Amino acid sequence: MTLGYGLISGIIFGIFLQKAQVLRYDKQVGAMRFIDMTIFKFMLSSIIVSAIGLYLLKDFGLIKLSVKGTSIGAQLVGGSLFGIGWGLLGYCPGTAVGALGEGRLDAFWGILGMLLGAALYAEAYPFMKTKIIPLGSYGKLTLPQALGVNHWLVIVIFAIIVLAMFYLFEKKKV
Amino acid sequence: MLKRTWNPYLAGALAGILMILSVWISGKFFGTSTTFVRTAAVIEESVGIDTSTNVHFTEKKGKYGAGALPDWQLMFIFGILLGAFVAARSSGDFKLQTVPDMWRKRFGTNPVKRGVVAFFGGVIALFGARLAGG
Repeated sequence: MTLGYGLISGIIFGIFLQKAQVLRYDKQVGAMRFIDMTIFKFMLSSIIVSAIGLYLLKDFGLIKLSVKGTSIGAQLVGGSLFGIGWGLLGYCPGTAVGALGEGRLDAFWGILGMLLGAALYAEAYPFMKTKIIPLGSYGKLTLPQALGVNHWLVIVIFAIIVLAMFYLFEKKKV
Repeated sequence: MLKRTWNPYLAGALAGILMILSVWISGKFFGTSTTFVRTAAVIEESVGIDTSTNVHFTEKKGKYGAGALPDWQLMFIFGILLGAFVAARSSGDFKLQTVPDMWRKRFGTNPVKRGVVAFFGGVIALFGARLAGG
C-alpha cells in the first residue's frame, strides 16, 4: 500500500512539475541567473501552502513533523557543493528524473553522476560524521524553536516576505 | 489539465496540497536523494562490492542500505518519471534532446561536452545534498 501511495504521489507530482515547466534546464539555470523565476514561483508557493497545511495538521495532533538535524558545518559545506553541482548539471535530483521523462537525455548523465556522488558520500561518511557534521550542531531544531516564538508568527512573516517577492517578480516580469 | 503550461504559482500550490495529503495519509514527506544512496548500494552489491562493512549503508538499521529498497521513495521517483512523460506527451512538450537550448547558445552543440559536465555536476550535487541532509 505504501508503495502504491509513493507511485501515485510521484505521478501527480511529475505532472505538476512538467506542466509548470520547472523540469527544464533553461528554467533552473534561468533562476540561478535571476532571469526567469519560474522555479522560485513554484517552490515558494508550494512551501507556503504546505507549511500552513502541515502545521495545522500538527496543531490538531494529526501528523508528526520530520525535522532534520541542524549542523552549520554540514549545511554550509554541503549546501555550497550542492549549489555548484546544481549549476553545472542544471537539474536537482528529483527534476533530473522528471527531465528524463520529458526526453532530456542530458539528465541521464546527471543521474549516473548522482549515483556515483551517493557512493562517494557513503565512503566519505565516517570523516564527515566525525569532522564536519559536529561543527555548529544543534540537533533537531526548527526556526520557531530557535527564535523561541510561536510557529504561526514565523509562517505569517515568511508568507509576507514571499508575497513581496512574488510582487517583485511580476513587476520585473521575470 | 489540457492546457500546455500551467501557472507556476497554481502548480506549486497544488504540489503543496499534494504533499499535505501525502503526509496526512501515508506519513511521507517528499524527497528523492536518499534513493540515490540506496541504489548506489544495490549497484555496488551487483558488481561484487561488499557494502556490509560500510558504516553509512549499515547504520540506523540499514536505512540507507540496499535492503531498504523497494520503498515509498523509489516508487515516488518512478512516478515522477512516468507523470512527467505522460504530461509531456499529452501536451506536445516531449522532445529527445541531448543539449539544452540555453547551454547550446553559450557552449555549442557537442553532446559529449554537455554529458561530461552534467555527470560531474551530478556527482558534486548529490554528495553536497547528502552532506547537508537533503
